[in-house]
Amino acid sequence: MSRNATTREAAPAGRPRAARLLLQQLRYEQLAFWRNPFGAGFTIGFSVVFLVLLAATGGSSRSSTLGGIRLVQYYVPGFAAYGVMSACFNTLGIQLVVRRETGLLKRLRLSPLPTWALLGGVLLNSFVVAVLQVVVLLGIGRLGYHVVLPHAWGPLLVAIVAGVVCFTALGVAISAVIPNQEAAGPIISIIYFVLLFLSGLWYPLQPGSALARVSGWFPVRRLIVAVFAPFDLRPGSSPWSWNDIGVLAAWGVVAAVFALRRFRFEPRRS
Amino acid sequence: MVEDLHKSYGALEAVRGVSFTVERGEVFALLGPNGAGKTTTVEILEGFRSRDRGRVSVLGHDPASRSRAMRERVGIVLQELAVEPMLTVREVLTRTAGYYPDPRPVDEVVELVGLAEKARARVKTLSGGQQRRLDLGMGIIGRPELVFLDEPTTGFDPSARRGAWDLVRTLTEGGTTVILTTHYMDEAEALADEVAVVAAGRIVGSGPPDALGGRDEGAVTIRFRLPDVPGTPELPAALARMCTTRSVATDPVEITTDDEVRVLHDLTTWSIDSGVPLAGLALERSTLEDVYLRLTGSEHGASQPGRQS
Repeated sequence: MSRNATTREAAPAGRPRAARLLLQQLRYEQLAFWRNPFGAGFTIGFSVVFLVLLAATGGSSRSSTLGGIRLVQYYVPGFAAYGVMSACFNTLGIQLVVRRETGLLKRLRLSPLPTWALLGGVLLNSFVVAVLQVVVLLGIGRLGYHVVLPHAWGPLLVAIVAGVVCFTALGVAISAVIPNQEAAGPIISIIYFVLLFLSGLWYPLQPGSALARVSGWFPVRRLIVAVFAPFDLRPGSSPWSWNDIGVLAAWGVVAAVFALRRFRFEPRRS
Repeated sequence: MVEDLHKSYGALEAVRGVSFTVERGEVFALLGPNGAGKTTTVEILEGFRSRDRGRVSVLGHDPASRSRAMRERVGIVLQELAVEPMLTVREVLTRTAGYYPDPRPVDEVVELVGLAEKARARVKTLSGGQQRRLDLGMGIIGRPELVFLDEPTTGFDPSARRGAWDLVRTLTEGGTTVILTTHYMDEAEALADEVAVVAAGRIVGSGPPDALGGRDEGAVTIRFRLPDVPGTPELPAALARMCTTRSVATDPVEITTDDEVRVLHDLTTWSIDSGVPLAGLALERSTLEDVYLRLTGSEHGASQPGRQS
């Protein structure tokens, strides 16, 4: 996966520049993403549907664990986090397995496209999809449910970037351990939904509870908390959640190292 | 270009000391049964697989270094289809063109592979043959100096095969070197300047297709029919002795000989003098298929586990 940088030959005239390659990759990643009903529907559609359903059933009730704020004020950032994770971990992880098993990755590996451009395009695509989802969810929250938007956007942006990087690395890493296309959906979905459930996406966890302590080890919980922080209306709460961002970064680094060692371009079936 | 190449998968030795050189502008075919080590060899040359032993140089590069400069000069068509299903033919080719410093115009490639009327269709709506042609297009869009074609026409219908062959000829006219693997004898015969027959990880025979395994020397078979009419003069005794089948009724006469020029002369002289026609007169050398079966025959029974070709 790492680019072999032993000999740097002079680049031939006309070799495409890095920025152009990345933009081109992003463009076609986007085209492929939006044309795939699974990608667009499951990634974007699910978070919106979940948010609307939850808000309809209990959104106006107030949360005792969160100082009496309305639950929907928690659900909107919660599902924004969900959207980021879906795009980067779930959708990407499955997509990479499919591409590997159908030989697409092998083909790209043999083309002059550098690996960094391939993965850079994938990362940028995840980022665009994630940001788009956050915007859509905030829009629905603001217009539909009068959710109070953050005063400071910096902490939200940092949390989302940390989430994208961490979960993209995790998505690449998980794809490396999944043997085939048929297994990709079930394995990834089970891991993902169990962690979501433990992490209090559907109900705020009592800080310090056993569940919160256990799920605190995992990045899913950390991202939900970090994205919620700028939306936290309780007096004295900080919009920055460095602890959680630190844990996300640590997971991201571990996943990236694992991915670099284990990622394969070649189909497993032979 | 390739010297003493070795590659094992665990206990299975897929490539056991393969050596060959391909000249610029040449079409070189690796011919052999499935599991012979053709694809493994080609994938080592492409830089996709590492080798255990041996020296390899591709356009002056060691493919194991996977340098971008080499990949910019090489075009690759794999055995398995690998095209993004949601993009259109044009989009796929435009994207691939964007990876190369000096690509062919997209429209030119669309024409070359005969997909002009499908240019705006999504890849997933193409037939298998059309997808493979698109794959071929992706392999040549970068104006490569060297093209690897791994079983380029497997699964093609006859006219698509001809089309692919024409495309290969167009490439070589432009000076492109082509290395292809195939298990079709006629493909090797039609396209290749040089053929190497691979069996069980070794090259068991090599040379121009018409001279492979001594095809251009050795015995040839002369075949013809004599009229089935009473009173037809007999063949001269000298010729009759050489016949391997005797024309009693409708069977063709076959004469197998090392000295076809003299035999033909005697035969045609007799025919003209006696007025007996030689219907369907033909001269046959051993076919590439005969040579191939003879060369690979000894390894044929032992099936090679695991890897495909």
